[in-house]
Amino acid sequence: MAADAGPVPGTLPRPPLAGRLRSLLTFAIAAAIVVIAYRQTNFNIASLFEGTSDFFKFLGRLAPDWSYLPSVWKPLIETLQIAYVGTFFGTLIAMPLIFLSSRNTANDPISMWIARTLLTVLRSIPDLLWAALLVPILVVGPLPGAVALTMFTIGVLAKLGSETVEAIDPGPLEALRASGAGKVATIVFAVVPQVAATMISYILYSFEINVRASVIIGLVGAGGIGFLLQVRLNFFDYTAVGLIIVVIFAVVLVIDGISVWARSKLI
Amino acid sequence: MRRNQALMVAGAIGSVVLLVIVLITMDMPPWTRVVTGLQRSFPPLWRGFSRPDWELFPLAFNAMTETFFMAILGTILGGVLAFSLAFLASGNLLGGTRWALPGKAILVAIHTFPEILLAIIFVAAAGPGPTAGIMAMGIHSIGFLGKIFSDVIEGIDQGPMEAIRASGGNQLHVFIHSVVPQVLPEFMSNLLYRFEINLRSAAVLGLVGAGGIGGPLIQRLQFRRWDEISMLLLVIIAFVVVVDAISSRLRRNLV
Repeated sequence: MAADAGPVPGTLPRPPLAGRLRSLLTFAIAAAIVVIAYRQTNFNIASLFEGTSDFFKFLGRLAPDWSYLPSVWKPLIETLQIAYVGTFFGTLIAMPLIFLSSRNTANDPISMWIARTLLTVLRSIPDLLWAALLVPILVVGPLPGAVALTMFTIGVLAKLGSETVEAIDPGPLEALRASGAGKVATIVFAVVPQVAATMISYILYSFEINVRASVIIGLVGAGGIGFLLQVRLNFFDYTAVGLIIVVIFAVVLVIDGISVWARSKLI
Repeated sequence: MRRNQALMVAGAIGSVVLLVIVLITMDMPPWTRVVTGLQRSFPPLWRGFSRPDWELFPLAFNAMTETFFMAILGTILGGVLAFSLAFLASGNLLGGTRWALPGKAILVAIHTFPEILLAIIFVAAAGPGPTAGIMAMGIHSIGFLGKIFSDVIEGIDQGPMEAIRASGGNQLHVFIHSVVPQVLPEFMSNLLYRFEINLRSAAVLGLVGAGGIGGPLIQRLQFRRWDEISMLLLVIIAFVVVVDAISSRLRRNLV
């Protein structure tokens, strides 16, 4: 696992002692890291229950105020709009990147490397961080949210897509290449039919992730129901906050359910 | 095949129509405002991103190390809690799929609850700091890990379990000598995978005051200090890429 310890046996099967030493060492390293982490972060679970207010008393203050429900609909719809726009443009941009970054369909090694690096960077920035970065650049509201989700979708979808493309049956690919078909024709007739169902499932999955993201990116000013949540939090209006949390929970649950059902029909 | 193609074309047309409707009804700012805003923010943006402020490197590195440790503790906390819950969501250990349904429902509910909302609740209750972030990650990770753990448990080979029972072992013996050795590699691999996810989310939990590099980042975003923001981003990306590479290597060795 983490490191090899003890003598490496030659042709003989590994003696149990070496194996035991090895797992002991791995365990010791893991335990040491956890202890260091514990010290460095001053993790203190007790602080949840002392401090300003009792944790459960605080949870009690979040009791939802149902009369606030009508003012939630508009930002909720905006949230779903942001998720849809982000998924749509993210998919559109991810498509060419999938084929550029897959080993078996790439144009040349240099453009493949550039595409892969770009995707790695896109993926290493979480959706909420994209939103936080884009809000100061684009005007506060749904626009930075939609762009943030587009960025994030490109990273996720292109990664999943290129894994699928690299796993296809190479037969049709070679047949088309041998008969002199162009690059685009090869991809359209040899690759797309093999990956279409999986890709649609991944697009649905991206939409699912984007709904989850779009309910919270408003916290940094990127529109949707999260923005309303941020405003209510700033006013310490906890009963409204409680209601918004319940609504977010319900929406994510419903969208997840639909998406899981649709994906199970696809494959 | 023909039918599938027709369905796909219909789906494509439908999604474009929906896009047009969404774009029309969406509350977008006027384009002129966006363009003038972009023109105003682009020069400082370019200046900041072409020259990251290396004086901030020690602070960024320390904050990211804290983020890293938060992700470790959050993952371990989630793993321990998920480990115990997973057995309550595994049909083969409870004697029937329906007995596992309540456990599975709890796991789905936990997974659905957005992590950042947990962080907000924990920050409000415990005050700002890494503890709130670790708690949020720990609780949220239960959903994902518990689901996968219970899938792994449900997929184990019954043979060794029956062998131990047949030779007179009790329920505890079956658990220690048959269930644990079979599921441990998969558990560890998924724990590492979750750690990769948690490192990313730990980097943003600070945006709501839950510790880590998100805190210094959000302060500088408010003042648009792009040279410092680009430094923080560089450190985040470098950390995530390196940790991903190491972790996926370890995972490949495990399974």
